[in-house]
Amino acid sequence: MKNGLALQLERLLSGVSDHGVRHLAEVEADLAQTGALLGDAIEKLGASFLAIHAAARAQQEMVALLAADNAIAPEIIAKLQAMSGEMNQHVGIAVTNLQFHDLTSQLIGRVLQRVAGLQQVLAAFGSGTLAVPPESGDDQIAALINGINRKVAVRSKRLDSVLWKTVRQNRMESGEAELF
Amino acid sequence: MIAKTILTVDDSSSFRQMLAFSLKAVGYRVVEAIDGEDGLEKAKSHTFDLVLTDQNMPRMDGLTLIRSLRALENYRKVPILMLTTEAGDDMKMKGRAAGANGWLVKPFDPQRLNEVVKKVIG
Repeated sequence: MKNGLALQLERLLSGVSDHGVRHLAEVEADLAQTGALLGDAIEKLGASFLAIHAAARAQQEMVALLAADNAIAPEIIAKLQAMSGEMNQHVGIAVTNLQFHDLTSQLIGRVLQRVAGLQQVLAAFGSGTLAVPPESGDDQIAALINGINRKVAVRSKRLDSVLWKTVRQNRMESGEAELF
Repeated sequence: MIAKTILTVDDSSSFRQMLAFSLKAVGYRVVEAIDGEDGLEKAKSHTFDLVLTDQNMPRMDGLTLIRSLRALENYRKVPILMLTTEAGDDMKMKGRAAGANGWLVKPFDPQRLNEVVKKVIG
């Protein structure tokens, strides 16, 4: 019959592993869905933005033709030019903000990698993976726990080393430009 | 006058779309590549006037692409700008050492981008 402590330890580790892996799988699924939705949204936003811009340009060209024909009063032309300038400003802002998908997908990708790494760490002491010898005394159990601690620390460090943070922006404001 | 042609290298299709929109609006021609490897292949068959590249891409990252381009005879002097989310001095130093001529941090403002590009290639 297994030492009570050994059995409890085995149950604890497999419980943490099983629950952890299960919940992380849900996190992974939700993140993948978020990524898919964002991908779909940016594709449609991008297409609409280009279509709206093309239509606005065509309209401006029509106005320019009418102005050339003296078909529009000068004060109206001035107002239309001011509106055109305002529109160009908003186009620039829209272009900056439509880059959100690039930044958010990098962040989501990093989270997914971390989740996969954590799943591997937890799976290492899942049900049936880590057997605590039935007659383990306190010393053996302490040694086993130390071994697990070391493995977790090594895997955690390895995970950190491959998860370089590439996006630190918190706002969609244009970044700096520097020529060397 | 023949329009200058810019090679844009980025694994984000939506980003490449905004980049192309901004550059074409002021008269440049744009050729897109989906990552460093694709960019290098395209660069080998045509000498572009400017290369704009992201850093973090699958298959080949930006720094590796820059080093590979600088090893090509016809790309020794072609301006190459990094256009990336990374803003740290460490990465900029690596970019400069690899052969980049400048560093732009995402997201870009189209007017500012075009000012920089005009300064570099006219």
